[in-house]
Amino acid sequence: MKPFELVDHTADVGIKAHGSTLTELFENAARGMFAVIAGEKYKAQGSKIEKKIEINENKDNLEEILVSWLSELLDIFNREKIYLDNFRILSLNNNGIKAETSGVNIDLYQSDLYTEIKAVTFHNLKIEEDIEGFSCTIIFDV
Amino acid sequence: MAYAWQDKLEKLDNFRWKIPQSYKPGMKVPGLIYASEKLLTGIINDKAPEQVANVAFLPGIVKYSLAMPDIHWGYGFSIGGVAATDPENGGVIAPGGIGYDICCGVRLVRSDLTLDELKPRLETLVNALFNNIPSGVGSSGDIKASAKEEEEIFLKGAAWAVKKGYGVKEDLDFTEDRGSIEGADPSGVSKRAYERGRDQSGTLGSGNHFLEVQVIDEIYDEEKADIFSLFKGQITMMIHSGSRGLGYQICDDYVKGMISCLDKYNINVPDRQLACAPLNSPEGKSYLGAMKCAANYAWLNRQCLMHLARNAFEKVFNKSWNSLGLKLVYDVAHNIAKMEKHKVDGKERLLCVHRKGATRAFPPGHPELPEAYKKTGQPVIIPGDMGTFSYVLAGTEGSMRETFGSTCHGAGRCLSRSGAVKVCAGRSIDKELFNKSGIIVRAKTRTTLAEEAPEAYKDVGEVVDVVHGAGLSKKVCRMRPLGVIKG
Repeated sequence: MKPFELVDHTADVGIKAHGSTLTELFENAARGMFAVIAGEKYKAQGSKIEKKIEINENKDNLEEILVSWLSELLDIFNREKIYLDNFRILSLNNNGIKAETSGVNIDLYQSDLYTEIKAVTFHNLKIEEDIEGFSCTIIFDV
Repeated sequence: MAYAWQDKLEKLDNFRWKIPQSYKPGMKVPGLIYASEKLLTGIINDKAPEQVANVAFLPGIVKYSLAMPDIHWGYGFSIGGVAATDPENGGVIAPGGIGYDICCGVRLVRSDLTLDELKPRLETLVNALFNNIPSGVGSSGDIKASAKEEEEIFLKGAAWAVKKGYGVKEDLDFTEDRGSIEGADPSGVSKRAYERGRDQSGTLGSGNHFLEVQVIDEIYDEEKADIFSLFKGQITMMIHSGSRGLGYQICDDYVKGMISCLDKYNINVPDRQLACAPLNSPEGKSYLGAMKCAANYAWLNRQCLMHLARNAFEKVFNKSWNSLGLKLVYDVAHNIAKMEKHKVDGKERLLCVHRKGATRAFPPGHPELPEAYKKTGQPVIIPGDMGTFSYVLAGTEGSMRETFGSTCHGAGRCLSRSGAVKVCAGRSIDKELFNKSGIIVRAKTRTTLAEEAPEAYKDVGEVVDVVHGAGLSKKVCRMRPLGVIKG
C-alpha cells in the first residue's frame, strides 16, 4: 500500500492517503500534502526544528479533525516558514489530535517550491475503511 | 470519468442548458449552464454539473444555480458559478461560493505605446517587470504595512495605496467599488489572517496569477473601444492577482466555523464545502464584514502591483508613467459576493450575488459605473491562457435579466495541473511560446509553466463567443500576449 498518491482534479490538486490505522492515515495525509507543495522527491536540508501540535475541537467528527490537522501544519509552513517532513501522532480521536512534528526552516521566496496550497478543503471529504485499512481523498485549493 | 449528463440536461437553445430541479431531491431551483455544443462536451465529462446541482440546495437561492461557459470542477461551487440568495427569504452566504482567493480579479492598463515602439525594448521590459514584481509561493514584497496600517487597508483598500503615493485618485474611479467596498469589519478577521496579510501586499503570488504585456490585435466594437481609449496596435498590460494569504485564511476560518451552522440553522447541503449561514445571522454578517476586508486588500494589492509595473516601464523608457499614458481601463473582481439590487419577477430585491469565477457585467446607465463608461456598460476583462488571447467585453442588459449582472471570467481549465505537466513532459513551454509566437515568458519555476501551458485551458474565444451570443456581454476587443510574468 502506497502511503499516498496524487489525484487528478481539474482546477486544484488532490491526494488519496492510505493507512493501516487512522493514525497512519493522518501521518500519510500530512506527507502527501508536503509532497504536493514541493514535489515527491524533495528533501529539505538543514537543522531540525521540533513542533508540538495539540488540537482540541468539539467537533465529534474525524474528517473535520483531519482538515484541522492539515490546516495547522500548513499554517506552520506559511507563517513560520518550516517545511515539515516528520510526523508522529501521539493521540487521535473525533475531537482532537496530539502530535510531534519536525522540519527545516526554508526561505519560500528563494526556494524552487512549486505549488502554493491556499487551503485544505472539505470537498467530498470522507474517510473510508476496507480490509486493508483506511483511506481518504483530500482536495487542496491551489 | 464519464458522467451520464447528456440525457439529464435540457437544451433550451444554442447557448443554454438546464439541469431540471427534479435531477436531485433537495434542489430548490433548477441549474442553468451557458455553453456551446463544443464546450458542453468537455463540461459533461467533468464533475462541474453535479456541483451546479449541489449549489441549487442553498437556502434562499433565487431563480437558478448558474454556470458560465468557463465552468470547471472546483470544490463546493464549480468555478464559473453564480448564485444569488435573498436575505428576506432565508438566503445564505457560503464562503465556498466566493473561494479562498477572495476578490481575485484582473485589471487592464492601457498605454500610448504602439507595438512598433515597444518591440525593440520588449525583452528589457519583461525582465524589468520580472525583477520589480515579487512573485512565487508565499512571496513577500517591499510594500509593507504595520498592524495598525493593515486595519486601515482593510477599511480603505486601494485608496490607502493612493494615499501612500502608489497611484492616483483617477485609478480609483476605474476600479470596481472604487477599490474599497463599504462595510468591511476587521473585528471578524482572525489574528492568523492578519499575520498572513502583513507582508504580502504588492506581491503577485503563484499558480495562475500573472502580469502580461499585450497588444490589441482586433477591435469588434469601435465605438465602445474608443470610449475605453483602446485602439488596434496599442500596448496594454493585464494584472491577475488576489488577496493572497489574508483571503485564504479568512475563507478557511469561516468555512470551518460555518460547518456547525448547518446543524444550527437546519441547512441541508450535499457537500460540507458548501457550509453557509443565513445572511441575517451573526455568523453570516461576520463573514461578510471579514470578506470585505480581504476584498479591499485585493484591490490594494492590484493597485500596488500596477504601481510597481509602472515603475518598471518608467525605468525602461526613461519617461514618467503618465507621459507613457499608462492609465487604468478597469479593475474587476471575479471571486466575490456582493449585495446588489436586481429585478426578480418585476420587483426589485436586494440579493447576495455569489460570483465564484464570474465577472460582474453591469449594463449601460447602471449607477455603479464611472461617468466615463455610463454609455458603454462596464468593461469586462477576460484573461485567456498565456499562448492565445485575452478579451475586453462590455456589460449588457441581458446579464441583468438573466445572470444577476454576471458573465464569464476566463478560459477555464480543461486539464488538471498534473495532466498538463504530463502533456508537457520533456517540452520547454517558454521556448515553444517564443519560437511559435514570439512571446517572452518569465516564471519562477518550470513546473508553473507546464501547469499553465495553453493546452491546459479551454478555447477562450469559444467561451467569449458564448457570452456574446447569449447576450450576457458584448465583445469590444481582443489582445495578444507579448510578454508574460508568471508566479
